[in-house]
Amino acid sequence: MAESTILLIVATIVNALVLSSMYILLALGFTFLFNIMGILNFAHGVIYMIGAYICFYMATVVGINQWLALLISVAVVGLFGIFMERFIFRPFFGNINSIIVVCIGLITVLVNAVAISQPYNVQVTPAFVQGILKVGIVSLSWQRIVFFLIGVSLLILVLLFINKTKQGLQMRAVAQDLEGAILQGINVHFVSALACVIACALAATAGSLMGSYLSLTPYMGNDIMIKVLEILVLGGIGSINGVLFAGLIVGTLDAVLPIWLSGTATQAIMMLIIIVILLFKPQGLFGKEVRA
Amino acid sequence: MILEINGLTKNFGGLTAVSGIDIKVNDGEVLGLIGPNGAGKSTFFNLITGVIPPTKGKIIFKGKDITGKRPHEIAELGIGRTFQLNPLFPNFTVLQNVISSFQIRPRSNWLDTFFNTPVYRKNEAYILEQSLEILNLVGLYKVKDELAKNQPHGYQKMLGVARALAIKPSLLLLDEPIAGMNPDEIDNTIEAIKRTSQRGVTIILVEHNMKILEICNRVVVINFGQKIVEGSPQEIKENPEVIRAYLGSGHDTKH
Amino acid sequence: MGSMIAARDSSSRRKNYTQIILYGILICFLLFIPLFFQSPYVLHLFILTLVYIIAAASMRFIMTSGQIPLAHAAFLGLGAYVSAVLSKHVGLSPWLSLFIAAFVAMGVGIFISFPFARLKAFYYAMVSLFFGVGLLQAIESLGKLTGGLAGITAIPTLFNTASKVPYYYCFLALTLVSLVILYRFEVSRIGWNLKAIDQSYLVSSSVGISEVKYRVLAVAIGCFFVGLAGGMYANYNVTLSPSSFDSSVTLWMIIYVTIGGMNNFSGPIIGTAVLFLIPQYFSGLKQYAPFISAAILFLVIFMFRNGLVCIPGLLMAFYKRKKSTSKSR
Repeated sequence: MAESTILLIVATIVNALVLSSMYILLALGFTFLFNIMGILNFAHGVIYMIGAYICFYMATVVGINQWLALLISVAVVGLFGIFMERFIFRPFFGNINSIIVVCIGLITVLVNAVAISQPYNVQVTPAFVQGILKVGIVSLSWQRIVFFLIGVSLLILVLLFINKTKQGLQMRAVAQDLEGAILQGINVHFVSALACVIACALAATAGSLMGSYLSLTPYMGNDIMIKVLEILVLGGIGSINGVLFAGLIVGTLDAVLPIWLSGTATQAIMMLIIIVILLFKPQGLFGKEVRA
Repeated sequence: MILEINGLTKNFGGLTAVSGIDIKVNDGEVLGLIGPNGAGKSTFFNLITGVIPPTKGKIIFKGKDITGKRPHEIAELGIGRTFQLNPLFPNFTVLQNVISSFQIRPRSNWLDTFFNTPVYRKNEAYILEQSLEILNLVGLYKVKDELAKNQPHGYQKMLGVARALAIKPSLLLLDEPIAGMNPDEIDNTIEAIKRTSQRGVTIILVEHNMKILEICNRVVVINFGQKIVEGSPQEIKENPEVIRAYLGSGHDTKH
Repeated sequence: MGSMIAARDSSSRRKNYTQIILYGILICFLLFIPLFFQSPYVLHLFILTLVYIIAAASMRFIMTSGQIPLAHAAFLGLGAYVSAVLSKHVGLSPWLSLFIAAFVAMGVGIFISFPFARLKAFYYAMVSLFFGVGLLQAIESLGKLTGGLAGITAIPTLFNTASKVPYYYCFLALTLVSLVILYRFEVSRIGWNLKAIDQSYLVSSSVGISEVKYRVLAVAIGCFFVGLAGGMYANYNVTLSPSSFDSSVTLWMIIYVTIGGMNNFSGPIIGTAVLFLIPQYFSGLKQYAPFISAAILFLVIFMFRNGLVCIPGLLMAFYKRKKSTSKSR
C-alpha cells in the first residue's frame, strides 16, 4: 500500500473519532434535556457556539491560558443553563411548537449579538496542545489525540454519573416517570437544572475544543445542530445507546465522505441514508417500538 | 358463527405474547375473556383489530379471512372496539367524539363534503340524531357539550363504548369496560352492555372483575398467551385450574 | 361538519354575525390599501405578506393532522422554481406555469407522504426537515436550469407593467380563494378527521378513519397551496435564489403559525401579518433589526400562550370581569 494511502487512512480514522466524540457530547446533552424535561432544545447548537466564542475571547483578547479559558467558558455556559431551565424551558414543558418559537428567539438574539460583536467572519482559537506524534511514517498532531481522549473521558464520566450516583438515579427516575418521581420526593426542578447545566457544559466543552480544531463563525451552531438531529433520529430519540452508536456512524461518515464528495453532496447523502434507514425503522435504530 | 380464530400466535422478539389460540364466537353471544395481568388479552384484541399483525394463525370474520388487514378496514367490516387507556379524542366534546366516530354508515364522498351539498347535510343531520340517541343509551346525554378530557374516568370509558357503537358494529370488543369504575357506574355499564347485546350485537369482553361474568354466555380463560379453560361462567368460577392461575401467578386484588 | 356546528352552544350564532361583519370591514380595508399607501415598497411588502399567508395557512392545515412539515419552505421553493423554469425556459404563460407548479408540488408531496406516513411526530418532523434540505440541494445542483447558488433571474412576470397595484389585487383574490378553500376543508368532516388523527391515531383507526389516507390528503392539499404561493412569488419577484427557501424560512413559518395561534384558522394569517410587517418597519436599524423580531417572539409567547388570536377573548373576559366588579360595588 502506498504511503500516502496509509496516511490518509490514519488521518481519516482519527478525524472520525474526534468528530464522533464531539458530536456525541452534544447529542448526549440534547438527549438529557429531552428525557428529563421533554424539551427539544433546538438552541443547543447556539449554546455550543457561545461556548466556543467565550473560550476564544478569553484565550485571545484577555490572553489567559487556553485551558483556563475552557474552564471559564464551561462555567459561564453552565450558569446560563440554569437560567435557561428556569425562564425558558420550564414555562413551556412539553409544548413542541412553543419550544421551537422560544428557541428560534434565543438563536436569533445570540447569533446576531455575536455576529455584530465579531465582525471578522472566520477565526480560530489558538491550539490547546502543540507538537506532533510520530509513529513510523505516520504523524499525528497531539491536539487531535488529546481532544479524542477528552471526549471519551467526559463520556465515561457522564455515563458513570448517570448510572452510579444518587443524582444520576434521580435523573433516570424523572425520565421514566415524572409523577412517580415527584411522589417519591425527588426535587424535579433541581434535577432539571442539573441536567441543563450538564448539557450546556458538555456543549461548551465541545464548542471550545472545536473552535481550535475547525474554526469559529457565528453560524457554526446551525451546522452542528443538523448533525445532532441526525444522530438523534438515527439512534432513536431518548436512547443513550442510540446516541453513542449513531454518533459514531455520523462522525465516521462526516470524516469519510468528504474524501470523494463536495460538502453539500456529503450532507445530501447523509440525509438520504438517514431517511432510508428511518423508513425501515420508524423509531430509529435504538428507539422503543410502540406496541400500541 | 361470526368470528373464528385458528392458531393465533404473536411473538415480540423472543417473547410469545399469544400462542396458538383457537376461539369460536357464536352470533349474538357475550363472550368473556379473563386472565391475570400480562396474560395477552389486550394483545389478542390488537391482533383481531389489525393494530399489530399476527406472527401466525388466521382470523375469519363472517366467513371472510381478515388476517393482516389494516385497523380502519376492519372497522369498516363492522368490528368495533374500545381501549383500556385513553379511549377517546381528548380535545373534542363528548358529542363531537361520537359524531366523528360516524365514518362508515353513512359516508359522504369528498365532493359532497367539500361543497356542503344537501346529501352531505342530510347525512350529517342523521349522524347528529343517531349520536344523541347513542349518548342517551349510554347515559352521557347530560355532558354532551363538555370536553371529553375533563370527564371522570367512568364517563370516559362509557364514551369509548359510545364511540365504538357509532360504527354500527356487528361484533364489539370491550377492553376492560368496568375497570376503575365505582359501583354505580359499573351497574350502568353492565346495563348498557346488556341493552347493546339485546340489539343483536355480538360482544367479546376482557375483564378482571368477576362481576361481569354474570352477563357472559361463555367464558374463556387465558394465561401466558394460551387458552387454558373454556365454559359457562359457573363452571369457570369452580374450575381449580382457573383458581390456580389467579392465585398462583400474582393474585389479583380486584375481585 | 354541519352537525358539529349545530352541536355548539347557541351563542355561536350571534358570534357568527359579528365575525362576518368584522371580516367584511377587513376585506374593504384590504381593497383600499393601494389607495392609502402609494409607495411601491410598502405595496411590495403587502404582496409578499399575502404570499406568506398562503404558505403559513397551508402549513397549519398540515399541522392540524399532527404532522410538522419542516420541508414546507422547500416546497415553496419547488413551486417557485417549477413556475420560473416553465415560464422562462419552456415559454409557457406565467398564468399556466403558476398552476402547474402547484400541481407539481402536490404531486411531490403525495409521493413522499406515502412512505413518510409510517413516521410519527418528531421523526416525521426531522425526516421532512432532511428531505427539505435535500430537495433544495437538488434544485441548486440543476445549475443549467436553476442557476445554482446564484439563482435564476429575468423570470417572466404575470403583468406587463411596472406598477404593483395589479399584483396586489390579483394576489389578494388568490389568497382569499385559497383561504376559503382551506377553511371549507377545515370545517368539513375532512378537517375534523385530521384533528382526530392528531389526537389519537389508534382511536381514529378503530372507527374507520384511514390514518395514511388522511395524512396524505393533508399533505397534498397543503403542498398544492404552498406550490401556488411559490409560483406567485416567482412570477412576481422576477429573481429567485435558493437561500429564500432554506430551513430557517420553514422555522419562521412555524413561528407565524404558533405566534398567531395554532388552534385557530386565522392564527397564521394574523401571525404572518404581524411578524412579517412589523420587523420591516424597523428595517432602518440594519443589523439590529432581528432583535425586534426576537423581542416580539418572546413578548407574545410569554404573554399569550395560545397566540395572538386569543387577545380578543382575553380582552372580552377582562371587560366582563371589570363590569361585574363595578356592578358589585
